Amino acid sequence: MELDLFVRYGPALLHGFGVTVLCWIAGSIGGLVLGFAIACLYHWSGKWMRWALQVYIDAVRGSPFMIQLFILYYGGPYFGLTLDPVPAGILGFIVYGSPYFAEIFRSGFQSFPKGQLEAARSVGINEWAITRRIVLPQMLVSITAPLTNFIIILTKETAILSVVTVPELLSETQTMAAETFTYVEPFLALSLFYWFMVEFTSWLGKRVEARVTRHLKRA
Amino acid sequence: MAKAKADAIITIEGLGKRYGDFQALTDITMEVRRSEVVCVIGPSGSGKSTLLRCLNFLEVYDPGEVRMDGELIGWEEGSANPRKPLSGAKLRDQRKNIGMVFQQFNLWPHFSALQNVAEALIQVKKLPVKEAHALARAALEKVNLGDRTDSYPSGLSGGQQQRVAIARAIAMEPRVMLFDEPTSALDPELVGEVLNVMKELASEGMTMVVVTHEMGFAAHVADRVAFLDEGRLVCCVPPKEIFAREPADSRVRAFLQTYRERNVV
Repeated sequence: MELDLFVRYGPALLHGFGVTVLCWIAGSIGGLVLGFAIACLYHWSGKWMRWALQVYIDAVRGSPFMIQLFILYYGGPYFGLTLDPVPAGILGFIVYGSPYFAEIFRSGFQSFPKGQLEAARSVGINEWAITRRIVLPQMLVSITAPLTNFIIILTKETAILSVVTVPELLSETQTMAAETFTYVEPFLALSLFYWFMVEFTSWLGKRVEARVTRHLKRA
Repeated sequence: MAKAKADAIITIEGLGKRYGDFQALTDITMEVRRSEVVCVIGPSGSGKSTLLRCLNFLEVYDPGEVRMDGELIGWEEGSANPRKPLSGAKLRDQRKNIGMVFQQFNLWPHFSALQNVAEALIQVKKLPVKEAHALARAALEKVNLGDRTDSYPSGLSGGQQQRVAIARAIAMEPRVMLFDEPTSALDPELVGEVLNVMKELASEGMTMVVVTHEMGFAAHVADRVAFLDEGRLVCCVPPKEIFAREPADSRVRAFLQTYRERNVV
């Protein structure tokens, strides 16, 4: 193993990792927010709005992330949407993740006990405050695990951003491999980076879970 | 209990409710007077809970009218064919004056007892947190739970949870309190503590509508007892007429017979 390779390519790899983490975090947070908004809209609105949202959900879930990125990045300019690779990658991530997040939130809304909602309505609390103060904190108990799971899946989907020339971890690794004719070292390093992100996410998920289940432990 | 004959606070007129093909309530007309305790009894499926839930529009009734202090509940005044429901904000304004206690307590399990009671004071009455907590503490003391303010619902017995739920409702200082079988989900030895709190509320002049299977409570605390059967109001009379040796109506007689057999009344 030639470890001095890492000295030479270390900065490039770290930069790639930074770009990966940026796209992943911004994309995940954006996807979470958009997904939650879709789920709320779905929860509160009537037949037609639900139908429209379902079309969006099905369309995004029904196509591969890579195709979506191609359409956004190479097809975008035809619709007047010209983006640099990184913003395109982040936007692509947000769109791609949102329906999955929305479905997780929707399952949380659907399984919420109706009696608690009636109690809140009977004292005159408004729907948004009910969602924010009563539904969401409890819903997190059951949806933190699937949310964590999906965010873990997203860590690895970042590799696909390389197809629209985002200088992320995989493309930097490929450059390194191509220039040095080594394969074991670069891809070993690559796996370690992903592994780190996955471990971090699952640690964070456990922290959130511990926090939202506090009240379930008997005093 | 001798109460001055007061004016009506709730008037129900021609009230109906239908679920698909099932007629849950038919042409209910009655009133509840200020500071009165009205118990609603009847066989299961007779529409008692539905009637109660129409009073704060948790059930969307149609046709008919429910009025509190003259104000039409749930529907836009004067609208017809089809009637227009009130906006969310207006409905919430009406509901904050109508307290409700549920069979299953329906506390918010991620909040402590104190937070459960304070939440609506903060969110609806917009009180500062400190003031809301002081009022919530006072309400909990009133239901004899001054020492359990920091407990979560999972750490409280059923009777204690139901008392927190009562505190949550009375903290809003409602004009009327609705009770939907408040003791039906409780172990027998916990029923008393909840009924005692309700008796105390009644003695302070709170207007109460109570759907219950506790015939003792109906007999001794209610000013009038409404008997429902198959969605119709059979009668709404002082308890001594219902619990007389031979009630006038055969349906009331048949219903009470099952209790008599168990020596409840």
